[in-house]
Amino acid sequence: MKFGHVFKECLRNEGFPPEWVDSAISYSQLKKCINKLTSELAQVGLDPATLGKLLKHVEDYNASTDQNDDQDRPFEYILSGDDTPGLTKERKPFQPKLLFYVNEATGALHSAKLDAETKRKLQMLAVEMGMTDLRVFEEPDHDSLTSLDSNPDPTSPTNDLPHTNGPRKRPGYRTVEIPLTSDTEFFTKLSTELSGLEALQEKEKQKMHAEIDDLGKQMAKLTDPDRRANKKLLSVWRQIFQLYLEEGVFFGTTETDHTAHDADKAAKRFQEFCNKIAQAGLVDKFKKKENIQALNTFIHINQELLQGLRFGEINRTAMLKILKKFDKQTALGVKAAFPKRIEYPEFSEHLAKAVCAEVTTQVLSHVPQLDDYSCPMCMDLKWRPVRLSCGHVFCIRCLIVMQTNKQHNCPLCREKTVVDANSAENLDLELADFLKKWFPDEVKAKQKYNELMAGIDQYGEVYAEKCTVM
Amino acid sequence: MALPKRIIKETERLMAEPVQGISAIPHEENLRHFDVVIFGPSQSPYEGGVFKAELFLPEDYPMAPPKVRFLTKIYHPNIDRLGRICLDVLKSNWSPALQIRTILLSIQALLGAPNPDDPLANDVAQQWKEDQNKAIATAKEWTEKYAKP
Repeated sequence: MKFGHVFKECLRNEGFPPEWVDSAISYSQLKKCINKLTSELAQVGLDPATLGKLLKHVEDYNASTDQNDDQDRPFEYILSGDDTPGLTKERKPFQPKLLFYVNEATGALHSAKLDAETKRKLQMLAVEMGMTDLRVFEEPDHDSLTSLDSNPDPTSPTNDLPHTNGPRKRPGYRTVEIPLTSDTEFFTKLSTELSGLEALQEKEKQKMHAEIDDLGKQMAKLTDPDRRANKKLLSVWRQIFQLYLEEGVFFGTTETDHTAHDADKAAKRFQEFCNKIAQAGLVDKFKKKENIQALNTFIHINQELLQGLRFGEINRTAMLKILKKFDKQTALGVKAAFPKRIEYPEFSEHLAKAVCAEVTTQVLSHVPQLDDYSCPMCMDLKWRPVRLSCGHVFCIRCLIVMQTNKQHNCPLCREKTVVDANSAENLDLELADFLKKWFPDEVKAKQKYNELMAGIDQYGEVYAEKCTVM
Repeated sequence: MALPKRIIKETERLMAEPVQGISAIPHEENLRHFDVVIFGPSQSPYEGGVFKAELFLPEDYPMAPPKVRFLTKIYHPNIDRLGRICLDVLKSNWSPALQIRTILLSIQALLGAPNPDDPLANDVAQQWKEDQNKAIATAKEWTEKYAKP
């Protein structure tokens, strides 16, 4: 299937808001522009084959000399006039120019290495059209033009340093500009659309920002451990968010997978998360409507993010495809140079990053996760928390074992601090209150375990057996 | 006694997010006993080699370090003929905050950076000091001979 068709189907069938579809890259219209341009070029005798030969010639020359002094370059395609990379935000209208050089005296093309056929064609073009029909002009002297970026060679940097390879004075040569209009239309259209996409992205971001903010406030209310009604729900929310974090929907958090995910992968991961909360029957534990609503909002925000990611991806593909087509049909070689001039708005990744960070800080942070409060030794909740003089916190049980074993160094920094931790001052009361508030069940379980182990220390293994009988 | 929560958690995580170039799988009948496979680090004489090892978590783990031993023959100044490993974090520098995954990573790093100044296999260490190129060649040879799957 042709890409244009696939793109259209995507836009139509994947449930994007109409406003988004309107802002999408108008692939088929841009394609028409290219067709017009091809016929314009053909009218002046520059079919893709001829242009291809010219371009090849330039590339070969550049490759062989490995420097930018392209004295033999027979023609140049200038993407735009006076812009510098810093100005890409306010996009200037494009004024692409196709230039080539002819000898003033003979009308011969400024190149020795072109094959006879191409040379003949271009010469014909220059002579037949009387050279005056084409806009022939003496190379202007003033400086503004020497700073033109006129470098079709994709490997050299397009920055605003003074260029040595702009249209330059070549004694005895004239620059011939071939009048083209469709290319200007093409680039103006494409860059306008990209600006539009950027604006849309900004708008979406604001919208989601507000949504996340609201949800955050609601979560704070729903999980507030001081409210009796929330007591049971806190652990449900904790499980949901733990599953969410473990799934790493938009970004991997493991050693082997630590990059941003594409829309496909993110969608799969998100589906997996939804399946898991369904399997665990977590939703059924929500009795009150407001909890279910909050979960729905959370899921909705994620879906919006997925959709944004996908929309960004297909538009990016559309842009790359249309530029490739431009090159294929015209052989003007812009694909490599264009994305440098115009930064494609990183719809997908930036938005995903920003929104994920917000979800984490605004929503997930309302429910502390066990992993963040576990003792590095027993990997259970740090209860009771004891802070060593080096600042590291462990559960009291592990430190007692260490002291019994005469292991005196802090497990994290190797400071000799374990041995001194034997006063009530070492108890981290603030953290203890926090744990009691947010992890009531876990605290109870750990307390029981600690007591059991202390009993075993005192009376031996039989103590445990006695306990199970009781 | 039942398996401590820590060992269960570590095992789960090792299964869910394996360390690159390392695998550690517990025995079914003894969950404190792991079959370990370490892939030779790239740009070392052990590159391309697959080294088997065994890891055992003693009763007082994590207060005491795990016991690790190579099963595949390896030519390395800090690993002897019986596969015993000379590595500070396995002995004096053990910390209960270290884990199976961090220890295995340290061992993998030891393969990438042999330390002949603190030898366990004296003959190998001496060879390493006298003629490093030859020692590296031997290590490569052994990798070819013993550590190919």
